[in-house]
Amino acid sequence: MASTHNNFDFFAASEKAIGDTELRRKLANASGHHLDAAARTRAEFPRYDEEREAARRIKAEAIGRLDELLLQLKQRLETNGCQVFFAADAAAARNYIVGIAKRNGLKRAVKGKSMTTEEIELNPALERAGVEVFETDLGEYIVQLRHERPSHILTPAIHLSKEDVGTLFHERFGMTYTNEPERLTAVARDNLRSIFMTADLGITGVNFAIAETGTLVLVENEGNGRFSSTLPDTFIAVMGIEKVIPRLADLSHFLEILARAGTGQKITTYTNFITCPRGHSELDGPREIHVVILDNGRSAMLADPVMREALYCLRCGACLNACPVYRRIGGHAYGYPYQGPIGSILSPNLFGSGAGFLPFASTLCGACREICPVKIDIPKMLLHMRAKENRNHLKWPRGASRARRAVARFARLAKRPRTVRTLSRIAAWMIRPVVRDGYVRWMPPPFSAWTRTRDFPAPKSAPRRKPKSGGV
Amino acid sequence: MGAFVRVLASVKTALEGGAHREPNAHPGARVMPSAPVVAPAANRAALVSSFARELEAVGGHFTGSATPEGLSAQIIEISDRVGALTVAIGGDGSFDSEPVAGALEQSGRDVIRCGVTADEAARRALIERIARADLAIVEAQCAIASTGTLVVTATPARPSALTLIPQALLAIVRADRIRADAAEAIVALGAETIANHRVAFITGPSRTADIEKLIVVGVHGPKQLHALVLWPADD
Ligand code: SF4
Repeated sequence: MASTHNNFDFFAASEKAIGDTELRRKLANASGHHLDAAARTRAEFPRYDEEREAARRIKAEAIGRLDELLLQLKQRLETNGCQVFFAADAAAARNYIVGIAKRNGLKRAVKGKSMTTEEIELNPALERAGVEVFETDLGEYIVQLRHERPSHILTPAIHLSKEDVGTLFHERFGMTYTNEPERLTAVARDNLRSIFMTADLGITGVNFAIAETGTLVLVENEGNGRFSSTLPDTFIAVMGIEKVIPRLADLSHFLEILARAGTGQKITTYTNFITCPRGHSELDGPREIHVVILDNGRSAMLADPVMREALYCLRCGACLNACPVYRRIGGHAYGYPYQGPIGSILSPNLFGSGAGFLPFASTLCGACREICPVKIDIPKMLLHMRAKENRNHLKWPRGASRARRAVARFARLAKRPRTVRTLSRIAAWMIRPVVRDGYVRWMPPPFSAWTRTRDFPAPKSAPRRKPKSGGV
Repeated sequence: MGAFVRVLASVKTALEGGAHREPNAHPGARVMPSAPVVAPAANRAALVSSFARELEAVGGHFTGSATPEGLSAQIIEISDRVGALTVAIGGDGSFDSEPVAGALEQSGRDVIRCGVTADEAARRALIERIARADLAIVEAQCAIASTGTLVVTATPARPSALTLIPQALLAIVRADRIRADAAEAIVALGAETIANHRVAFITGPSRTADIEKLIVVGVHGPKQLHALVLWPADD
């Protein structure tokens, strides 16, 4: 499960984020907007709690019968003419997908938003194999142009203002600067339209896979998921093993809660049902459908009775919006594709011990459990994981005991940026010897993995003690 | 094959090891209500008005209702309003689309008919033509009153591209096919349809809120969505 995701220093990143008042404004604005809209929509829907209970019950059933359902799903998908590949880990999934691209001679991929493909770090692997990869969700497109990672599982560019996007488009496309979302969106539409029409590979995630019918359900607002799964001749859907639900009749319960929790819509603009490849007399739809079903640490979570519940997650994003820590530090500080409360649970399980400190980055205030449409008890799991990490001797850098305590106490401190800043200065002082030009070039083990693929900005207080000439 | 066995084995072991196997402890969702195939006539007006209200709430345009005789005239009126010079029209619906296509042509418009294509080049060419259409017209299989959703199934004469790539979309739905909610719509569709067609639930025009949560419509899919309710002749 070695991964290059863990190339980030949580101390430094959260310190930086907390000090960034502009980021805080953007986050408060955006998550507040979602929270208000979601609260309004739920208030107008008296059946919300009933649907929530039903959805939770179905997830519990599905996870409890996962082996049967995966077998049924595989058989149905194959009967429908899809090709199914089970991947034990990220590398297996990547290799399979790259293999298809090579075999079919594919050159241009369009992607719908998919956190699972972020998890397996698919884009660089495809690019190395000579495939151009285009993120087509507007938010993902923007962060891809900035060579960044998404900062929210639902709204990837939540950390950027319209001015940031205006500047980006001005610089990248030479267009006259504007901060009007309509004009910026129109430019993205035009750019991506020609790419959609010429792409030979489409890749998306999956929200629900119905075992009974062998149907993949993909929900979205923009239509880019529909494009990616309709126009290219080869289509690959990537899903975790936990996405399977038993019956077609189960689906409506999830549709009734997913958007209401996440964005405050009653339902998303598009709900796409994909069951079979294009027939002989059909105009469109992929000729080949591959479904990659990924374990990558999920079966280990299944084996742990407390962690099992995390597999109910619908990736609605509500717990991120509700989390006081996320709203302070934003998604990038977490350093992994899954952020916020649920990310702090998933990341250590999917990416290994490098992310073991994340469960400590929570105030345990319970807002996530409250808002979660399937009522996942996130605080309970965080405590469980803290205990486990402590038992497993979570490795902190040598001499970092003060900093370690600082993270353990992050809870109360998240609300007091000045204190966090002070503590982070301690962390900054610790890494002082390896800072050059404001970037951390190298860290002692176990943090060496974090800096392997990417330098990251040093905490603001570091330069104060700048080494005299060029540093190390 | 090896990978499948391995993953399934880890899942099995995880389930059994946890001593938490509760095979039928959770009977799952409430049993799906079996909705009548045709919405009861008494409810129809209420369902239509709820559908119309919800459609407008998500930025769609409810363009009223039509009788089978008045359909062509009404569609031409909507095409005028949209300013559509090129119109792509889908078939395989409950009414014959040919008279509508003919009327549109008579009104001076370029009409694209969808159907089986001879070869790969013709297939690509037809998609390119549809992409340049100002308006696409399809019949929806059903609609959902509680959310203003149109349910469109893809068939050879009604390809997915129609509801996706033209600038504007006009969906026609029969009044007796408007369902109360998603659960009923899924029952009405049935497993058979879902297993054999690509299906799309479409709720409003394509939209995004990726830049500072400000809603912008028409990011990838149609920029406008119009819906017209067709009252069957026997009503
Ligand atoms: S844990 Fe719950 S609230 Fe958080 S993303 Fe998953 S389903 Fe949504």
